[in-house]
Amino acid sequence: MNYREPDLLKGLNDEQMEQALALGSRISLPGGAELFGLGSEADRLFLIDRGRVKLTLPIQLRGHDQDILVEERSSGQTVGWSALIPPYRFTLKATTLIETDLIALSRESLRALFAASPEVGYTVSLNLAAVIGQRLQLFQTMWLREMQRVVERHCV
Amino acid sequence: MVLLLMAACLGLLALVVTALAYWAAARSEEPAVDQPQPEVFKVASPVGFFADTAAPAGAMRIQVPVEALLLQIENHVRLEQAAAESFLEYPTSALLHTRTISPIVN
Repeated sequence: MNYREPDLLKGLNDEQMEQALALGSRISLPGGAELFGLGSEADRLFLIDRGRVKLTLPIQLRGHDQDILVEERSSGQTVGWSALIPPYRFTLKATTLIETDLIALSRESLRALFAASPEVGYTVSLNLAAVIGQRLQLFQTMWLREMQRVVERHCV
Repeated sequence: MVLLLMAACLGLLALVVTALAYWAAARSEEPAVDQPQPEVFKVASPVGFFADTAAPAGAMRIQVPVEALLLQIENHVRLEQAAAESFLEYPTSALLHTRTISPIVN
């Protein structure tokens, strides 16, 4: 890893982190490249080593699908956690914003690591819960703010 | 006799003065024929006013280029996320409902 410690591997000691990172394969993508598509099979997740990834969802704009920004992830953050959560389908589209280096960790290799080292599995699972929980809380708040506007517009 | 004649003359004079005063007052109330008449405007009811001028829905809307619209939406999402993150850091009702400067909701 070149930059920040990956949020998914926080709490692991050096040896455990090296063990986990050794399972990954390094990917370098230019800006504007699609990392994964909406609905595609999620068999690996990605740790961003350097660069930025945009997560989008399509909305209908004048009769055409247009990708709308949902979140941006940068160095040290994780994208593609759907690889560890059934039904293993990506629920967003991921595109690099600039030249980006990532470490791809396959579901199979991570499962094998967790089985061999439950302590690592427990720590990574807690970190994964934090990543998912953060997304949930953020969107719960954004949804409530939108609901407030709908209520003000139509019901008051 | 003289007194009676004086009273009659005074009464007649009073009648003439009253008649003249009435005639003058009545004349001033009549509109002059050559004076310009004020224009009478028809005040349309609000419903009629809007019904006459309102275009079909969407016809008056300015077509913003899709790229500009996407930029506005992206800006809106960023502002909303920042507002949501502020709330998550210090959850209060006031922070939950802070307004942003996003033109989409203003």
